Amino acid sequence: MNTMERKKKVKLCADIAMASAKTTPTSWSNALISNARKCEQGTVLVDKLIGPESQLKLQKVSNNMISFHKRVQCKKILKRSCNAAKKTKRVGDSRLNVATIIAKRLVKKRTKVLKRLVPGGESVDEFSLIKEALDYILSLKVQVDVMRSVVNATEVLNGDKVMKSVK
Amino acid sequence: MMEKREEMCYQFVEDEIASLISPPEGGSSFTALLELPANQVVKLLDSPVGFPVPEVGNDVNLVKEEPVELRNSEDSDPVVSKSVKRKDREKKVKLPVKKSKNESDADKEKLPYVHVRARRGQATDSHSLAERARREKINARMKLLQELVPGCNKISGTAMVLDEIINHVQSLQRQVEFLSMRLAAVHPSIDINIDNMFSAESGSLMDCNFHGMVSPPLSLDGQINGHSQQLWQPDGLPPQPLWGAEEVSPNFITPENSLLSYDSSGNSGEFPNT
Repeated sequence: MNTMERKKKVKLCADIAMASAKTTPTSWSNALISNARKCEQGTVLVDKLIGPESQLKLQKVSNNMISFHKRVQCKKILKRSCNAAKKTKRVGDSRLNVATIIAKRLVKKRTKVLKRLVPGGESVDEFSLIKEALDYILSLKVQVDVMRSVVNATEVLNGDKVMKSVK
Repeated sequence: MMEKREEMCYQFVEDEIASLISPPEGGSSFTALLELPANQVVKLLDSPVGFPVPEVGNDVNLVKEEPVELRNSEDSDPVVSKSVKRKDREKKVKLPVKKSKNESDADKEKLPYVHVRARRGQATDSHSLAERARREKINARMKLLQELVPGCNKISGTAMVLDEIINHVQSLQRQVEFLSMRLAAVHPSIDINIDNMFSAESGSLMDCNFHGMVSPPLSLDGQINGHSQQLWQPDGLPPQPLWGAEEVSPNFITPENSLLSYDSSGNSGEFPNT
């Protein structure tokens, strides 16, 4: 088996472990798990690692998420039409307006990118997106640390093994 | 409804961070890493919920930093911020706020800069107020994020902070990928076959592995406990097999071997020894 496939599986395991480690499930953890479930390798893993009862809970949560997602979309459509109406009214103070418009555009671009990065970020409104990102960053840091220590441990042990076999 | 959700969110974040901070037994790297920013985060969490007036004034000034040209905004801002507080049900001060809202309407006509705002205000009053309330909340959260991401304290402006955050998340994700690649490369001889690993017969395999892995003393144990008690769940199945396999012990390789290469019958005989 080549390294890429192994790496994918290891990463999948790590992601699922990280997501299932949250007792109070957040949007990104649920999204991670449902994403993992979509690919064929992931379904088996998720079923075995997480267990059926929590999967039912996950189902409920994801249903809520779907309805919330629709609501968010409706709100966005409304807002867009409102903003379109507003923009036609904006006339004077060109410098100030241009600056604000540019700033807003930049911020919007960034938020779009952030939504793509954080799992499950697309179905969350901007405000909770920041909270989700905060949480996700914390968990990512932890995951990186744990994996790093694991790798160090395996390397140390492998080194010992090699030394022993050489002797 | 937004307010309820936000309260729940605050509660959630506090719970999460509290659980992350709580007992780090081993003084190991990432709990120390977690403790410092998490403490600050908890401190910061307390302040925006209380929302004292001068702080809101600062936040509003932060908001105003986005447009490059700031003229007479400082005069109108504290007044506007007070009227905004009426929208946020978390705020305790209500009566004086109502008065200031009328004042703010009057002020809007006096100051020249506010001339523009008066136009907008007259057009969609509730909308602009709600938007300002939203901005307050978002800026409070952005402050938290700034504390979390290293090197973000000195940057002002939402767009730049968001930039830093995106870079940070991307770098963390790349680190995870890289580390998983290293992990995969460490055991080139082992065949990770997930379908077989989780087939029906291996149900008992997982249990045995779990029992075998709990006992050995671990340098990682302190870290894992520090990370969260969530990892050690009572029913025992979930993340244990993965993280448990990675505990430092003299029998380290064998449980992992038997977990990862269920195909090879030779390895499966080894784990009863642990």
